[in-house]
Amino acid sequence: MAVERVSGGSSLIDVLDRVLDKGIVIDAWVRISLVGIDLITVEARIVVASIDTYLKYADAVGLTGLVARPQLTAVAEPEIAVETTRRVTRVPKRRTVRRR
Amino acid sequence: MKTKKAMATRPALKRKVAKASKDDLHVKIADAGNAPEVTTGEGGRYLYGIVEAKEQMTFGKIGIGGAGELVYTVKYLDIAAVVSKTAVYIFDPTRENALAHEHVIETVMKTYTIIPMSFGTVFRTDDDIREVLKSIYASLKDVLTQMAGKLEFGLKVNWDRDQIIEELKQEDEEIRQFHQEIIRKHLQSTYLARMQLGRMIDKAMAERSTQYVREIYEALRSVCVASRDNQPIGDKMIMNAAFLVERKREAEFDGVVNKIARKYGKRLKFKYTGPWPPYNFVNIRLKVERVTAS
Repeated sequence: MAVERVSGGSSLIDVLDRVLDKGIVIDAWVRISLVGIDLITVEARIVVASIDTYLKYADAVGLTGLVARPQLTAVAEPEIAVETTRRVTRVPKRRTVRRR
Repeated sequence: MKTKKAMATRPALKRKVAKASKDDLHVKIADAGNAPEVTTGEGGRYLYGIVEAKEQMTFGKIGIGGAGELVYTVKYLDIAAVVSKTAVYIFDPTRENALAHEHVIETVMKTYTIIPMSFGTVFRTDDDIREVLKSIYASLKDVLTQMAGKLEFGLKVNWDRDQIIEELKQEDEEIRQFHQEIIRKHLQSTYLARMQLGRMIDKAMAERSTQYVREIYEALRSVCVASRDNQPIGDKMIMNAAFLVERKREAEFDGVVNKIARKYGKRLKFKYTGPWPPYNFVNIRLKVERVTAS
């Protein structure tokens, strides 16, 4: 059975799943407080709080780490749990705080 | 106020959007929604994302807010923010708005690598945006380099639980025997026996789902740069993944996805979406800092 690829914008769920909290994010309350503020005239600046990029496939973490765990399982399988934790390790991880 | 009258005033605008976008499917869906509140005004700038840019660019009158504002770039050195004019306004993530945001990004993405902003970021002026670009320039530049020429694809995999359970009752020797026993012997404690059968099936299903997902990742690994595994949604979904793929290997990735889908036939349903900008592979958190504090 062939699978058809649909363009991103044709599925609202998939769109919301991405646009609300992924990419470049300014925290909601900051976003709201920005409305009406002229950045140039106030003594505030937008800076990077953190950066993560994810450019690794399974190689570094072992394939089981990437395996989705069905939510119906009641039986814990520690083996997989451990690898799942490892997967969360973000490579390469970088944390940048910039100040003038 | 979603009256018929309000809808009737919009066709001209819609046609314009359709022409500009050439993306019929998208427009159809956007049209299916209710008539939007038209948010016009020049007070603010809605920010869609960041691109590398040598010159000023425009992307058509497809801006968020329903007024068909021009999407253009605000440049700082060799990077630029993709923006459109808007009232200074907190956008609700309605169907219309979210799709408009995504549509602009997709349009830009046809030609450029864009680092997407999350929904609803509004600044006051072009100068403000330049200030932001300036203060986070190095980070943006770095991420743009890393993501250059790459696209994201989404792959959700659902299975037919009932069919899998039936299969397990046939194929899994342990489960099959136990099931037969319950039927044949009218075990005294049928309730408990059934509970036990349920647990056996659950466990077998978890194993099977793990196996399927592993096979799928294994098959796609050679045609993509990176992958991310998101939490499946609901109990039918066994996999909710995003893949980062080189633009030039898009067709190859397509081919493998189709090959996998054929392999699993009716057992697994694939929902394959994209191309997306690299939402799942970039996470930049911004904050506000007082100048006097440093």
